[in-house]
Amino acid sequence: MAARIIARCVRSLNHRSVYFNRVNTAATLTAAPLTHGRTFSHLTNGHKSPLAQISGSSFQVFQWRAYGDLPPLTLETIHDRVLYVLKLYDKINPEKLQATSHFMKDLGLDSLDQVEIIMAMEDEFGFEIPDAEAEKLMTPQEIAQYIADKKDVYE
Amino acid sequence: MAAAYLTHQQKVLRLYKKSLRHIESWCIFRDKYRFYACLLRARFDENKHEKDMVKATMMLKAGEEEFWANQHPQPYLFPDSPGGTSYERYECYKVPEWCLDHWHPSEKAMYPDYFAKREQWKKLRAQSWDREVQQLQAETPADGPKSEVLPPARREGDLPPLWWQFVTRPRERPM
Repeated sequence: MAARIIARCVRSLNHRSVYFNRVNTAATLTAAPLTHGRTFSHLTNGHKSPLAQISGSSFQVFQWRAYGDLPPLTLETIHDRVLYVLKLYDKINPEKLQATSHFMKDLGLDSLDQVEIIMAMEDEFGFEIPDAEAEKLMTPQEIAQYIADKKDVYE
Repeated sequence: MAAAYLTHQQKVLRLYKKSLRHIESWCIFRDKYRFYACLLRARFDENKHEKDMVKATMMLKAGEEEFWANQHPQPYLFPDSPGGTSYERYECYKVPEWCLDHWHPSEKAMYPDYFAKREQWKKLRAQSWDREVQQLQAETPADGPKSEVLPPARREGDLPPLWWQFVTRPRERPM
């Protein structure tokens, strides 16, 4: 974060040059955990010398662009969200819901209910589950596994 | 599904899902959508115990025609679904894995662990290839395969056929 403020000061001082000294990449990496790893992918070639050499010769470009994207998914968050959505469904008893409870056999739901559940999962995670694969997903565990498979979570 | 034809239940469920999605496109307010979704569900529920297949098929046909008449001209599509905004957007960045073999040794030296592991995987693939081909030849009918579904591994210690394609598939969103 300090590097960003310092870079802004330098930018205001010197309007012509666009290049800034990249300082303490370790500090910036720890200070900005939400920035996506992509922005630092080209900056991993060793550390540059500290701020004292700001008027020195070798500068490198860095950009503080945050691309619009969702927070990264993990297996636990997928599992929690799937169970949360299922508990909101009024035909399911929240106490009886387990990760491995089958919709038709254990929870006594219909195939139309299963379609509604899959649609709720699509709305929750923001991507479409094709019909051919949706009709096979019968437990919350399978749904979480399918979503993790599609979204490359801990491949 | 194993066969190429959809069962009656599958057709009904697909009609239900797409009509719900189109109702969602028409009724932009969530409570209004919920109301009409419940009405649709009631209509499907009252006919679901029909045992006469002829009548059921005629009802399905009528339902499909009603859907066609009432569909939304621009239904909401998820970005990744076909017809959505980012469908196949990242396909051009999905490089096949054999390109990794063409890297220069100095580039490969940057990731020694990965490439060492990759050599082991390739040896495994070479060993299991003959068994996979054998299994596929045994299980495919004489006319040719009926569907795209691959059979699982039948014997113990065997790998599923054509596993390499699946294991080394590119990510959904390439970095």
